Amino acid sequence: MNSQKTIKEAVVILALALITAFSINFISPRGIALVGQWDTSQGVVSARTKNDVVHEEREINDIMDAKAVFDEHTAVFVDARRREEFEEGHVKGAVPFPVKEYENIIESFIESNPFDVPLVIYCSGRECEDSHVLASYLSDEGYLNARVMVDGFPLWQSKGFPVEK
Amino acid sequence: MIRESYTRVSGTKEWIELILRWLVGCVFIYASFHKISDPALFAKSVYSYALFPSGLINLIAIVIPYIELLSGLFLVFGVYPRGASSIINGLLVLFIVCLSINLIRGHQFDCGCLSAGEEMDKPTRWLLIRDILYLMACAYVFFYKGRRRLSLMQ
Repeated sequence: MNSQKTIKEAVVILALALITAFSINFISPRGIALVGQWDTSQGVVSARTKNDVVHEEREINDIMDAKAVFDEHTAVFVDARRREEFEEGHVKGAVPFPVKEYENIIESFIESNPFDVPLVIYCSGRECEDSHVLASYLSDEGYLNARVMVDGFPLWQSKGFPVEK
Repeated sequence: MIRESYTRVSGTKEWIELILRWLVGCVFIYASFHKISDPALFAKSVYSYALFPSGLINLIAIVIPYIELLSGLFLVFGVYPRGASSIINGLLVLFIVCLSINLIRGHQFDCGCLSAGEEMDKPTRWLLIRDILYLMACAYVFFYKGRRRLSLMQ
């Protein structure tokens, strides 16, 4: 078996794969950045796509800040998780809004919540993008103040903050 | 008589090589599709392994699907079959090591192997056995010394 020939073949294939991969990633609208945001201490993790829904300026990074907003009773808390998860427990007074049910829910949500009401959207924590996806959709609808509680329900609950089922 | 039996055996081996080469090639072509169509989701699968440095996760997610696709295509068409099978064997060894580490430490993750998210519920040991079987099939293709059927190159 000619191992030198095999190595040359493998190098050719790998070179072709590298050129194709980076070219298509550069051209494609679904392409991602060469380095993503994978540090949970910095916020919600994301591969950073060209149309990334994760915007750091929307994030409430400290759960205590989210609790302060909750205590003001001016914001609506929106739960972006699946309905079953919501039913198992959620932030007290939160509105269920599973991202996958967006089309069915959005009309009634707009009827009950004016565009200037502050929204605090959450899902399961810093590895979950659903809250950012929903914040992005709601901002596009016209909501002026849609923010994301990045630590999500698990930390809220473990801190002993108000929850209900 | 001996010559006839030798011809029959080598004919069978040729067919086995062809079937295994096509099987592994098609599996890798198929496996690359969902990763190419949603690189961000695949990057999240890579992240969920909790094995790679942050700076490498996106690069892995960009490059691996095209290595799978091209190696798979080269295997199916029989272009540089030994080179392509050596790459796929390398990938399979890498997958087996990653799966084994997470199996040992009991870390739950999205394998991202053939389809995103769907394999969360599959026990890691089954994914491991599947990859070992693919590795055996691809090793046969790599070490095969006879004539390769329906192959553009030998």
